[in-house]
Amino acid sequence: MMIELKNIEKYYANKGVKSYILRHVTTSIKQGEFVSIMGPSGAGKSTLLNILGMLEEPTYGEYHFMGEDITAMNERKRIELYRNHIGFVFQAYHLIDEMTVAENIEAPLLYKKIPGAERKSRIADVLDRFNMVAKKDLFPNQLSGGQQQLVGIARALVAQPSIILADEPTGNLQSAQAEQIMDLFKKLNKEENITILQVTHSEKNALYGNRMLTIEDGVVKEDVQIK
Amino acid sequence: MFKLNLKIAFRNLWKNKGFSLINIGGLAIGIASCMILLLYVAYEFGYDKQFKNYNTTYVAYTNMKANGKTFSWAWTPGLLAPELKDKYANVANAARLSYPFEQMISHNEQKLKDRAIFADPSFLKILDYKFLKGNSNGLLQNINTVILTKTLAKNLFHDENPIGKTVKLDHSEALTVEAVIDDLPENSSIKFSYIMPWKLYEKREKWIQEQGWGSNFCLTLVQLHNGSLDQLNDSLKGLYQRNQKNLTNELFLHPLSKWHLYNEFENGKLVGGKIGQLKIFLLLAICILLIACVNFMNLSTARSEKRAKEVGVRKAIGSNRKSLIGQFILESTLLTFIGTIVAFILVEISLPYFNNLLDINLVIQYQDWRYWTILLGLVLFTGLIAGSYPAFYLSSFEPIKVLKGFSIKSGSSFSIRKILVVFQFVFAACLIVCTAVIYQQLNYIKNKPIGYNKGNLIQMVVQGNLKSQKKLELLKERLLKSGAAKNVSLLSMNIDEGGNNTSDVSWLGKRTDDKILFNQRGIGYDFVETIGSEMVAGREFSIKFPSDSDKVIFNEAAIKAMGLKNPLGTIIDFGGRRAVIIGVMKDFVSESPYQKVAPMVFYSSYNNSGGVVMIRLNETNNLSNSLSQIDQIVKEINPDYPVDRRFVSDSFEEKFQDEKLLGTLSNWFGGFAIFISSLGLLGLALFMAEQRKKEISIRKVLGASTANILTLLNKDFIKLVAISNVIAFPLAYIIVNKWLSGYEYKISISFLPFLIAIGLSVLVAVLTVSLQSIKVAKANPVDALKYE
Ligand SMILES: Nc1ncnc2c1ncn2[C@@H]1O[C@H](COP(=O)(O)OP(=O)(O)OP(=O)(O)O)[C@@H](O)[C@H]1O
Ligand SMILES: [Mg+2]
Repeated sequence: MMIELKNIEKYYANKGVKSYILRHVTTSIKQGEFVSIMGPSGAGKSTLLNILGMLEEPTYGEYHFMGEDITAMNERKRIELYRNHIGFVFQAYHLIDEMTVAENIEAPLLYKKIPGAERKSRIADVLDRFNMVAKKDLFPNQLSGGQQQLVGIARALVAQPSIILADEPTGNLQSAQAEQIMDLFKKLNKEENITILQVTHSEKNALYGNRMLTIEDGVVKEDVQIK
Repeated sequence: MFKLNLKIAFRNLWKNKGFSLINIGGLAIGIASCMILLLYVAYEFGYDKQFKNYNTTYVAYTNMKANGKTFSWAWTPGLLAPELKDKYANVANAARLSYPFEQMISHNEQKLKDRAIFADPSFLKILDYKFLKGNSNGLLQNINTVILTKTLAKNLFHDENPIGKTVKLDHSEALTVEAVIDDLPENSSIKFSYIMPWKLYEKREKWIQEQGWGSNFCLTLVQLHNGSLDQLNDSLKGLYQRNQKNLTNELFLHPLSKWHLYNEFENGKLVGGKIGQLKIFLLLAICILLIACVNFMNLSTARSEKRAKEVGVRKAIGSNRKSLIGQFILESTLLTFIGTIVAFILVEISLPYFNNLLDINLVIQYQDWRYWTILLGLVLFTGLIAGSYPAFYLSSFEPIKVLKGFSIKSGSSFSIRKILVVFQFVFAACLIVCTAVIYQQLNYIKNKPIGYNKGNLIQMVVQGNLKSQKKLELLKERLLKSGAAKNVSLLSMNIDEGGNNTSDVSWLGKRTDDKILFNQRGIGYDFVETIGSEMVAGREFSIKFPSDSDKVIFNEAAIKAMGLKNPLGTIIDFGGRRAVIIGVMKDFVSESPYQKVAPMVFYSSYNNSGGVVMIRLNETNNLSNSLSQIDQIVKEINPDYPVDRRFVSDSFEEKFQDEKLLGTLSNWFGGFAIFISSLGLLGLALFMAEQRKKEISIRKVLGASTANILTLLNKDFIKLVAISNVIAFPLAYIIVNKWLSGYEYKISISFLPFLIAIGLSVLVAVLTVSLQSIKVAKANPVDALKYE
């Protein structure tokens, strides 16, 4: 089992009043699944994804990632997981503005301490695959939104993660560009067996995946498989 | 990773040119100031340490009790050096030398007045001067010999080889040049251009042979084998008394290495000296560098929101804190490095100016590895200090907070930033107060009456023909007749010089236990008239009273110290001779203007070696005409010597050297400190204005005027500056009070320096902040709001 959540709760206390964001979320995600999380604005989708990505801590509940208890995990171990297993794709791309496309893609490999020659070949590989070879020396602000998101995904992929967490990856994009990204996700999921978890508002995008979780007011309302 | 980080660091610098400029500029000025101050400190610390044996070399000091105090000075009897060498096993060498004095030296037509000393042969064993030409053995043994320094040899002989050639001392003594030594380093206490044998001194000055143990007229240098100085100092106690019973003087040895910096004694105890000033400069150097570091910290953290995203992303893709810290430290070190290069340029440009100002010769020792080590240390230290806070602060961001949208609470970071700004301005305000007080004190002392009129007064060295009484009288007559001079008189030494004192004065009713030290001066006719002083009682020496050889005049301080009610007509014993007091002169300052005037006794005298002619210029005549007239007359009477005259006001000015130096340095570096601080403020304002762009736009839409907005933005900063002043004032008060306590005559601390400090710092703050924020305040609100 890739991810196991048991009774996850999250609330923010404000002047003694607790406002719950997530309540009793219990679910599990297997290796190789492509899960779309849906729900109205403010439902807690991003919060859930952040908890899964260990960017936020749940107030209560148990969370096991690849069999390991996250709540008892130290910082070093968590950085290990980031380096080897988790790739993030953000709605706002979050590329490092001071780095070129190639350098942005290279960064996680540097943290993983991958030797230079292999780094080069991997970057070349990814750039080739994303059709970005010509753009490799440009800076993020010289790219279109869709291109930036491609780089974001390329960066997540280059470290060969086991899971990609994507929060509205196409939220800022035109539908044609969005389609391209979704195709890519689907392909990665199929061909490389990478687990993908995406938050999306669009039914159409959600259908690219093979499972759909609907969240409302912090509670999982629906959990359906898609053929 | 390192390479990429370096590349990114450069790109960051380039992208944020404004910030980089402020940062590098601030750091460069900080480092340059620090470098110049350190160079100066090193120069002062290096005093007398060029010699191989400086660690085992000592200067003999004599403690003398007089006027109820103990005076310590490096004057000793001529008998001391042989005695030390013979009777004390631990003494390796002991040498006498005369104090340097200006003497004419000539070779053919080449005549020069230069600084000379007479010394024992062992002087050259104690201090290893660098020999360039001639044999270094057996020097100063033969009586008619001389050793020249390089520059003097060059000036006298040009390209000729001087060894074996003859030069003339004072147009009389023929001396053979035995050796040429390298020019002395600037920072050596014993300065001369040529050395002659002590024996020649004894031959020329017959009185030396007759001097006993109570007569202190030369410098004694002692070199020890080893062992503790305290032990030797103990065994030296009572040395004078063992040789001459009635003496109360005490001898002690003072290390050569401390001679320059630790030279102030109070009642026989070392109390410090120039070292105090040096410590202030050292502190100043460190503080200025810290201020520049603080700037960097402030600006980097202020920019943190921009960097936050980068930190968040890096963390999410697997960076740990350590490598982030490394990256930020790398950036700060890079900036420091660039700052250092700029600082180098600044230092090279400003050094000549400073050398001129301080009248010294500082150079960057590029070939000295120690210099580079210190510099490297400085860069790393600065980079680390400046980079550490931003590095730890920035790297601590939690990625989620950052990535979720910028919701960094700037509360905590802003309060640290506030503390840093306060620190800067505390320092700046302190410096302003101190500088103002130093200037006030200097002005006060300068304007304090000195007892005579030093303007339009010239003193001219008595030399050559002028040593004859006839020629002197002729000179006086001609000067007066020419109309260039209103009055002419004589004085046995420079009017602004101390020394030459005696306690050998007794009178009826003198208590046997009190010993009063009198400065003794021979003066010519019309002396009081000439210098523009006045007689409190009686008369001065005059041509109308030709038989004044057994008459003396005292100054007021002397009469007070002696306790005489009716001084006029009192008969005293002066150096074994009977003398009558015929007048009391108003006190005038001859030594330190900061101290009370010492008792003085004047006797009538015509020629006295080392004496000067005092000339009061005729103010109704054109100054340059008068001067050229004087020069012409002197040349006619004394053709063999160049005219050696100086304005008393110029000589007197040199007494303020130390205070002026302190004033100038604190002024300059205080200015730099304020400038760097305001650069920092500028950066903060720059950042703040940008950060509050949206808020400002909304306020404007709601109807706020530009002035309203400026007030809003300035309020915070002014509060900080005000707090800084409140903290700085007691601090500055303590410092200034301590500094002033060293002076007998001093100003009382007023409100003015504090007003200046607060006024200036608030003004600077308001100007910097407004300059920056006015742009934002005037901008069209739509621009800022459209993109939200
Ligand atoms: N730091 C916080 N303090 C208090 N409440 C918070 C905080 N962060 C998020 N929330 C609240 O949590 C709720 C869920 O937020 P979340 O970002 O998970 O929603 P979402 O489902 O992703 O919405 P959207 O589709 O608009 O992105 C929101 O109502 C939000 O107000
Ligand atoms: Mg969301």
